[in-house]
Amino acid sequence: MSVISAKNIVKSFGKLEVIKDVSMELEEGEVVAIIGPSGSGKSTFLRSLINLETIDNGTITIDGQTVVENGLYKKPEENRQAYQKLGMVFQNFNLFPHKSVLENIILSPILVNGKTRENAVKDAEDLLEQVGLSDKINSYPYQLSGGQQQRVAIARALAMNPKVMLFDEPTSALDPELTGEILKVIRDLAAKDMTMIIVTHEIEFAKNVADRIIFMADGYIVEEGTASVVVDNPQNERTQNFLKGFKR
Amino acid sequence: MFANVTLSLFEGFGTTLQIFALTLLFALPLGLIISFGSMSKISPIKWLIKVFIWIIRGTPLMLQLIVIYYGPGLIGSAATSRVLAGSTNPIDLFLSNWECFDRFLAVMIAFVINYACYFSEIYRGGIESIAKGQYEAGQVLGLNKSQVFFKIVLPQVIKRIIPPMSNEIITLVKDTSLARIIMVYEIIWNAQKFIKSDGLLWPLFYTAVFYLAFCGLLTILFGYIEKKFNYYKG
Repeated sequence: MSVISAKNIVKSFGKLEVIKDVSMELEEGEVVAIIGPSGSGKSTFLRSLINLETIDNGTITIDGQTVVENGLYKKPEENRQAYQKLGMVFQNFNLFPHKSVLENIILSPILVNGKTRENAVKDAEDLLEQVGLSDKINSYPYQLSGGQQQRVAIARALAMNPKVMLFDEPTSALDPELTGEILKVIRDLAAKDMTMIIVTHEIEFAKNVADRIIFMADGYIVEEGTASVVVDNPQNERTQNFLKGFKR
Repeated sequence: MFANVTLSLFEGFGTTLQIFALTLLFALPLGLIISFGSMSKISPIKWLIKVFIWIIRGTPLMLQLIVIYYGPGLIGSAATSRVLAGSTNPIDLFLSNWECFDRFLAVMIAFVINYACYFSEIYRGGIESIAKGQYEAGQVLGLNKSQVFFKIVLPQVIKRIIPPMSNEIITLVKDTSLARIIMVYEIIWNAQKFIKSDGLLWPLFYTAVFYLAFCGLLTILFGYIEKKFNYYKG
């Protein structure tokens, strides 16, 4: 059974139809990368899955629970549990600036999951070690580089024990020399069989880490398949043109 | 004489401080509620509040004091004369019971409403300056709306609004002197008394010492609070 199922998603901002008809299934343990030009609807699609955008039509099922059916949303309190199975990492990190690294990570496990502070701190320490930032536990976000902030954001999302991690262009706000550290953390997660959807412009990385690559353009999925098919041997003309821009 | 004047000014300054403290006590939370109204998604509420803020900020506090103090009494006596002339209209009967507020109560009503409106605009500016991503991060971590507001948004808003709030609160210290317009015996009133009774002008100048001392204290306090929030940036 797929852990996320999205069928015939449609979404407009005013008159602009951003997602025209997109369907995808995500299997447990699978890593999917979504690539495509700006304005193709890939970020909006990802944000729709975790309720940051409200879709106009379509059906989304998360871990067996249908949160929206043919554009009709279930009650928020019924959907809460489903959305909590998803973790999200943003392009701009969105750490809480008034909270230390530790407090950023433990806030939600304590407040939402009812963990004791002691347990939450222990988990946070493990996660920080996993992302290589144990020495920054008491720092504030402004004291960290962009790459470090993004690693804290990943640890913060992981602290909620999500079944699926969603990454919305996690390296796009970073200097090129800092993207490597984020990509390494994501690669480590993939090695631990974390289920992930990654919206990214890092084609080479997508090719390396993803089991499946989806190419989106103009609100549609134009092409999808294994990395070697979509990136190395694209069949569709739009995909070919898009990828040409990345060949150096 | 000096001791006499000092004592009288201290007494007046007690009333000044009372107006100051009570205004803050009620206007700080009321301002937050008004700011929610002015950001409401229900547009009739939003526009009603915006018009109200426009009226309060667009007219002098001195005028508001007079309207609130004399207004109910004027309405009441007009209704009373209609009742005496034989009106049995239930509205007239009801309004004929209206009379002037207690002076101090009138001062408090006018000050609280006036300052709540100014505070609400400062709150609104602060709340709207918080990036959308902060709300989104809270939401995807499973926090509900009130947790997002009180744990994430409000603490950041407080840091950002300390400078404009200090400004407004220091203005309030001096605005309390308007209370004398409806004969509430604050420090300026008590000083002016000596002009009539003893022909002395200097007690009025002497009040400045009280204002300066208190505002100096507030400046130090706000500086301290600002420093406390310096542990983070952003």
